Amino acid sequence: MNDERHDLTPAEKAEFASLPRERTPGRLLEERTVRALRRRGLLQGSRFRPSGLFAAAAAAVAVFVSGFAAGQWTTARSVTHSLIEAQQQTAIEAARTVQRTGSAYVTSIAALAQLTDSTGNPALAQGQEAAVAALYNAAAELARLVPNDPMAQLLRRVLQGRHTDTTEQIGARNVVWF
Amino acid sequence: MEATPTNSMTSQLVETSDRGLADRVLRDGDEGAFRALYSRHTPYLYQFALRTLGGNEPEAEDVIQEAWIRAVEKLDSFRWEAELRSWLAGIVLNLCRGLFRRKDRQWLEIDESALGSPRTARLDERMDLEQALHLLPDGYRTVLVLHDLEGYTHEEIGQALGTTAGTSKSQLSRARRAMRDLLVETEAL
Repeated sequence: MNDERHDLTPAEKAEFASLPRERTPGRLLEERTVRALRRRGLLQGSRFRPSGLFAAAAAAVAVFVSGFAAGQWTTARSVTHSLIEAQQQTAIEAARTVQRTGSAYVTSIAALAQLTDSTGNPALAQGQEAAVAALYNAAAELARLVPNDPMAQLLRRVLQGRHTDTTEQIGARNVVWF
Repeated sequence: MEATPTNSMTSQLVETSDRGLADRVLRDGDEGAFRALYSRHTPYLYQFALRTLGGNEPEAEDVIQEAWIRAVEKLDSFRWEAELRSWLAGIVLNLCRGLFRRKDRQWLEIDESALGSPRTARLDERMDLEQALHLLPDGYRTVLVLHDLEGYTHEEIGQALGTTAGTSKSQLSRARRAMRDLLVETEAL
């Protein structure tokens, strides 16, 4: 019954060859098939395997702990860095303030000295007292700042004696601080 | 994109041989390995089933699902003397035959009068080859698909369909004639 007339022509062969050989079914078919295999016990659902579950839980804990530690480290590093920066900034500012106010202190005492020489204004005594008090407190802080510095210690001792005497003399006198 | 562990695992499966994946499915019931096999072979099997069943998608999907179930069930008996895909196609073909029988559809040695009418086809201007295949009787279509599309020999077709090489040859001759008639008739419309 095989009839040679019914053999495929080259054009027909080409047409057959051009037909697609693959076609992807819907995604649901894969899930349906996997579920059917699980029901028959032919596949182990990876999500429900105890070993897989423990491994997943362990991995989750490890990720959490690592993340937490990293976060802690980052935060601590950030805070420390900020603190150091702030301290550095504060030290610079404090040094500048010492320099600025020290110059102002010296300048103001010099001005006071000129006034003292030329006038007998009693208000000047208050200025002198304020200058000594400021110098005393500055010497005390300087002794704390550089405790082994001989000059600072000597100055503090000398001024301490004078400061006590002056305070007793001043009594209830108001000292105007600036 | 950086490779994640999941991506890495998936790519490993993609590169694993059919036999390696099948071993994992058999030994561990490894779902990932099964999905890799499924992704690798289903597009071919689905098109094959769809064509054999005349374009009936729900039937083709049922056949594919059942084929994978049978394949996994019998995987330990597969001797790897042929390609896995050929073995799977054989299972699909048997399921299609079973479907034809259950629906009391004619299989081989059909009468010419059983040919579908081109006028019942979903026509545009001209019926294409795929549509003509869908309209052929099941037996004709199956032989045509196996021989002219899949490259089976008549001996292989006879073995696969439980008939003889001679029957396959005669069926193929009739199937080609019927297909040409369908295409010519629709061209004349």
